Amino acid sequence: MWIPIQIDENRPEPLYHQIETQLRGLILGEELAEGTLLPSIRELAVALKCSVITIRRVYQDLESEGLLRTRQGTGTFVAGVDAVVREGHRHERVVEAFEKAVETGLQLHCTPQEMESILRDVIARRTAGRKGEADDRASEE
Amino acid sequence: MTAHPRNDIAVSLRQVVVRGERFTLGPLNVEMPRGLVTAIVGPNGSGKSTLFRLLMQLEPYREGEAELLGEPVRPETDESVKLRIGYLAELPHAYEDSLTAEEKARFAAKWYPGWDWDRYRKLLRSFDADGTAKLRKLSKGMRRKVELAIAMAHNPELLLLDEPSSGLDPFAWKTMLSELGRYMEQGDRTLVIASHITEEVRRLADCILFLHRGKSLGFYEKDALFDGWRSIVLASQEPDAQAKLARAPGLQGLTESAPGIYRLETDLPEEAEAYGRSAGCQVMTVRRMELEEILDCLIRKEEARR
Repeated sequence: MWIPIQIDENRPEPLYHQIETQLRGLILGEELAEGTLLPSIRELAVALKCSVITIRRVYQDLESEGLLRTRQGTGTFVAGVDAVVREGHRHERVVEAFEKAVETGLQLHCTPQEMESILRDVIARRTAGRKGEADDRASEE
Repeated sequence: MTAHPRNDIAVSLRQVVVRGERFTLGPLNVEMPRGLVTAIVGPNGSGKSTLFRLLMQLEPYREGEAELLGEPVRPETDESVKLRIGYLAELPHAYEDSLTAEEKARFAAKWYPGWDWDRYRKLLRSFDADGTAKLRKLSKGMRRKVELAIAMAHNPELLLLDEPSSGLDPFAWKTMLSELGRYMEQGDRTLVIASHITEEVRRLADCILFLHRGKSLGFYEKDALFDGWRSIVLASQEPDAQAKLARAPGLQGLTESAPGIYRLETDLPEEAEAYGRSAGCQVMTVRRMELEEILDCLIRKEEARR
């Protein structure tokens, strides 16, 4: 089975961290449904050109977080994830993205007022676009 | 003191030395973990083939201790452990030239208790290789494929492959990678492979042993190596920039690639970057390093010490 994980060679984060973050995201984002059988450790290592030591570590970490479970002899599966955990993760991901944006703003000496007004503009533009698309679709129907 | 219990080590060398007339291998101290792929990487003449021959008891050594699959090996000890090993030599044996692959396989079938004709035929089919012609008549790549099939047909606990891909075309090479992947899939098998090919090491290896002039330049977990090493390009107009950068944390190499532009290799990238900035340099780029670049650094460092 193919799993959409992409390693970015230019990122400073170590491989296991990149793989773990993406796999966690796929599980919590429900792209990988409960009960999905994951590739074997060796298979995923070959596919991502990394060591089995790295994949083993990722599987173990996610297993101890309760996102994966391993059945002896059959393989590693996606576990059922609590809705509260999933909601927490969704929130976390958005907060993380905003933190990055704010960090860039601070580096480029934006004032909080500037950033707030940028944020409002972006939200207005994006939601207007979405609303427009929805209206288009509605009028086509 | 070892990090693994003994049965987790497939190949163990302690202070092992092979002395030839013009070439000395060792002293080597290395432990290759069971269940993993260890790639042996080094320039021509670094001792890769001598190391394989040593493990196969084909090379006499008088110093140190070697263990394969938990059994001590010496040239004079009994050879039963070899039944649990598959070996592909760097060069084909001339004395087998007049045999066909089938005939060679029949010898192997008598010798190895684990021999499996079914596995052998599947491997031949997967490699698209012909078992009926005399080995002498086969092209280099074709002969490599049948010999590889024979080396793997008894599903050995330990597979020793000395540059297996030499002579293979890209299709055969891909097949080899997937067959080796399938072999490792069993979980408890160990592969030791000498390789010149970066892509092969990237795809297959879990650990890397660097060899140079018969000496080990280090045994690394592959991802830790690629994660840890970085090449940093810095710019500075200060006349003493090079002298300052020579003291950077984790320094593995330093060159002035253009006036005022320095390339620094380090295995402590974050610390080295911060150090560079504090030394008044501007950090231009930071990137991961290729296998050859890392090997090159290790060799230059070793040569500087000699």
